[in-house]
Order: sequence, then C-alpha cells, then structure tokens
Amino acid sequence: MAERPEDLNLPNAVITRIIKEALPDGVNISKEARSAISRAASVFVLYATSCANNFAMKGKRKTLNAGDVLSAMEEMEFQRFVAPLKESLEVYRREQKGKKEARKDKDKKTDSEEQDKSREEENDDDDERMEEEEQNDEEEVDN
Amino acid sequence: PGPGRLARLPLSRVKALVKADPDVSLASQEAVFVLARATELFVETIAKDAYVYAQQGKRKTLQRKDLDNAIEAIDEFAFLE
Repeated sequence: MAERPEDLNLPNAVITRIIKEALPDGVNISKEARSAISRAASVFVLYATSCANNFAMKGKRKTLNAGDVLSAMEEMEFQRFVAPLKESLEVYRREQKGKKEARKDKDKKTDSEEQDKSREEENDDDDERMEEEEQNDEEEVDN
Repeated sequence: PGPGRLARLPLSRVKALVKADPDVSLASQEAVFVLARATELFVETIAKDAYVYAQQGKRKTLQRKDLDNAIEAIDEFAFLE
C-alpha cells in the first residue's frame, strides 16, 4: 500500500509551535522557512531510522529499539541529544507502566494471558490509542 | 519544557516515516517515541542555528536563506544537503 505524500509530513501546527518556543519572543518565521524545517525534520527521521536500523542488524535483531535510535544519534553527531532523550525515555517508560497497570486492573484477565502477549501486539493496542491522541493533538491547533 | 516532556509530534506520523524504509521490519514503540523526541530536538536546534543568520541580517523573521546558510555552515546538517 503506497503512502500518500502528506502521510510522510509532520503536522505544520506542531512544527511551528516547536520552532516558536525555541526562538525568542517576537521572532517570526516565514512560511517557506517553516516548510523547509518541516521537510528537514522528515529527512531527519528517515536518516535516523536508516542509521538505527544498521545497529539493529548488527545486533541481529529485527526490531528497532530505543537503544538503536540513541546509537544512531551518536553516529549522526547529535551526541548532545542523548542525555535529554534518555531522560524522556525514563518518563515515557514510567508512564507506559502506569497505563499497563491500569489496564490490568480494568481487564481482570488472568496473569498468564497478559504475560504471553507479545511486544508487537502491545504495540498494536497502543497504536490505536496513539491514533486517538493524534486526533486530539491536531484539534488543539493554535491560532 | 524540560527534557522529560512527552512527545508533541504524533507518534503515528513518525511511525509512518519509519515504515517507509523498506529495510526496516519492526520498530518498538519506545524506538518511535525516542525518534519523535529526537526530531523535536532537531527542529529546535536547526531553528536556533538558522536564527543566528537572521540576527546577523538584523531581521526578526526567520527566512529560508537563514536555513540554507545554517545547513551549509554546520557539519551535522550535511545530510540535508
């Protein structure tokens, strides 16, 4: 199934917000500059993915993991990203763990069933929720 | 906004980019999250680096040429050329 071009772009509103927060108050950004940064961000993801995938392959793994992405950042000379990314990852893991506990209580499934769930399946579940989150994100567009 | 903040970029869009790579089979949810956060840091970085050129030109609006200058001047952005 081919991806439509817009699917490989990142949402303009979010990109603009990130740029504005990085720059001093009163600074504006032209539409062309914003588009260029957005395209650069997409290229960054593609390049980082390719780089991270090399590390996964070296480790004889088929699934890209967080460590592969961190290794890719070092390879790409963005070492200064590694420490903040590790911190973010810690927060993310705590949050995911909290969600999982909440789901367990809600489902009241037997423990063995839960533990047998593969990582990929969990990803699918979470992906569905992510879709919802994405809609919320886009609805909150600043004007 | 501290380093621990969760991603603003929607993870599903980042994942779509990851899936566009034919060599990638699977990516963990954590990997997609870290990629999203890294991309946000990248956007902040390139915006700030480009702004230096706008300041040199005594402008308060970041323009395309500021981006081009930053990309040409800075080694880490060579992959964008």
